[in-house]
Amino acid sequence: MTHADGDRLLVVEDLVAGYGDEIVLEGISLAVDPGEILVVLGATGSGKSTLLRCIVGLVAPRAGRVLIRGRDIHAAGSAEREQILRDVGLAFQEAALLNSMTAAENVALPIVEHWDVDEATALMLARLRLASVGLARAADKMPAELSGGMRKRAGIARAIALEPGLLLFDEPSAGLDPITARAIDELILGLKARGDMGIVAVTHELGSINTIADRAVMLARGKIIATGTLAEVRATPDERVQAFFERRLLAASEHGSLADTLEWQR
Amino acid sequence: MPTEPIVLPMPGQLAGDAYRELERAVLRHRHGRTVVLDCAGLATLDSLGAAHLLRLIVEARHAGLDVRLTRLADAVRRTLAEVDPAILEEEARPRRHPLEVIGAGTLAAADAAGDVGALLRETAAGLTVPFGRGGIKWDRTIQQMALVGSAAVPIVVFISFLIGVVLALNGAQQLRQFGAAIFIANLVGISMTREMGPLITAIIVSGRTGSAITAEIGTMVISEEIDAMRTMALNPVRFLVVPKVLALMLMMPLLTVMSNIAGIVGGYLVGVVGLDLGSHAYLSQTVQALFISDVMTGLVKSVVFALLIGLVGAYRGFAVRGGPEAVGRATTSAVVTAIILCIVANAGFTAFFYYTG
Repeated sequence: MTHADGDRLLVVEDLVAGYGDEIVLEGISLAVDPGEILVVLGATGSGKSTLLRCIVGLVAPRAGRVLIRGRDIHAAGSAEREQILRDVGLAFQEAALLNSMTAAENVALPIVEHWDVDEATALMLARLRLASVGLARAADKMPAELSGGMRKRAGIARAIALEPGLLLFDEPSAGLDPITARAIDELILGLKARGDMGIVAVTHELGSINTIADRAVMLARGKIIATGTLAEVRATPDERVQAFFERRLLAASEHGSLADTLEWQR
Repeated sequence: MPTEPIVLPMPGQLAGDAYRELERAVLRHRHGRTVVLDCAGLATLDSLGAAHLLRLIVEARHAGLDVRLTRLADAVRRTLAEVDPAILEEEARPRRHPLEVIGAGTLAAADAAGDVGALLRETAAGLTVPFGRGGIKWDRTIQQMALVGSAAVPIVVFISFLIGVVLALNGAQQLRQFGAAIFIANLVGISMTREMGPLITAIIVSGRTGSAITAEIGTMVISEEIDAMRTMALNPVRFLVVPKVLALMLMMPLLTVMSNIAGIVGGYLVGVVGLDLGSHAYLSQTVQALFISDVMTGLVKSVVFALLIGLVGAYRGFAVRGGPEAVGRATTSAVVTAIILCIVANAGFTAFFYYTG
């Protein structure tokens, strides 16, 4: 680890990950600093979500490291991992609120567990967090009573409950109508404007990408095929990058194993 | 030196007999060979033809053959490129040797046993911290105790009563022949407290609570709630499993006592009403027949059954992958596994107590 890596918020080094026989991520390296938004782009199945799951420790990598403020989450023991995770918030694609609890109780849950406050205080703090994402009136509703956009906001409120330094979003605006999606993007920009938070958002929504990205990394079949500022990524001549931004469908042979069967010539 | 590829001409149409012939021609080659299909004679390919071709490639790959296509017409190439090649991977179901199946099954069982062991360790660790931050969630435990315990009382009592009646009626037929009808009290008392009470309770609780544990945790797995807990550095075992297992271990002995009493009452009614045994005689015979150790044996069993039901339910829940239908399957298998394990454990206990007195 270089000295500079220890100062950075998130460093991913040569990450390799997979499930069973399948390699999903291969040699991924990236870094994020406070006050910036890194967008991870890619088509469905490109390994974006697995990358997030590796960063938060849900998927153990086959090789490589994930350093959060210089500490390797996968090498950490359970106590150190808990400390590292307190500094990380993840907003899930489908919010993943606990269905047996109200929105406020969901947001209060990590606060009660990790901060030295009583439950009433934690619930009050949870209401403040919900208000900050525009959900003041829905605090006492059950997740099933909330709309998709409201659930996402509640999930974001829970992700920022412990005021983490690193905030991760899995498809923040996927499946939402354009207006709600725009509102979520604004919310993410608002969080960035606080200046102390580094944000990684995984998405394939062009609208979101154009609105929120400071820097971008594009994945295809588990590898980084373009990286840099959004403009630099857009200017990458790779066919897959161009197709992504032009919303063109690549021929199926680009994705799968049929290609090598087709390409053989005597 | 690599072996020369085998070149086979593709028929003009990939259907019916022509397809079957091609399949035979390809699959009769040895493992490791490369088979090149010369497609010059194939002008077009409809979707059925494409499906046939893909199926052939998949089967050939299972057989260890490398199938390549050559001299494709543009139209054929277009059709194939449109087909989702993921089909190739999804359809890849290897035909395995029976020994391989047994080996894989054994490894999977060993893995499962290891996972249940890990779950047991984590649950035990959770149970050792009774209070405070990181301790047992008593509010959740009490909530679970109501669900596991009091809600199950009517059905446990009803079923156990009927079992007591049936035991007494069956015993009466035999014992009356020897003028020993009063020993029905022994039969019912001892079988209820040592065997039937704990086992009936375990079977009912498996069906009611074991399945509910799997369904709840399994649903939380597929909606990523468990992952969300982990990313918040909350231990799902401590939150979900410990309160349920603890509630089961506290309530199952109580349910078992109720089951014992209901069964004995069933036997008593048969004895007193059906067989004209004296009420006092029946009860004092029961009291004489029963040792405190009989009742304690049953209670010890019930605590072990509680642990089995809770752990199996949780394990099956955490192992759910996929969608809602996987939760249904996991629930069924949790109930079946828990009942089998309880009966096996019961047999072990009975043998142990028999030989150790």
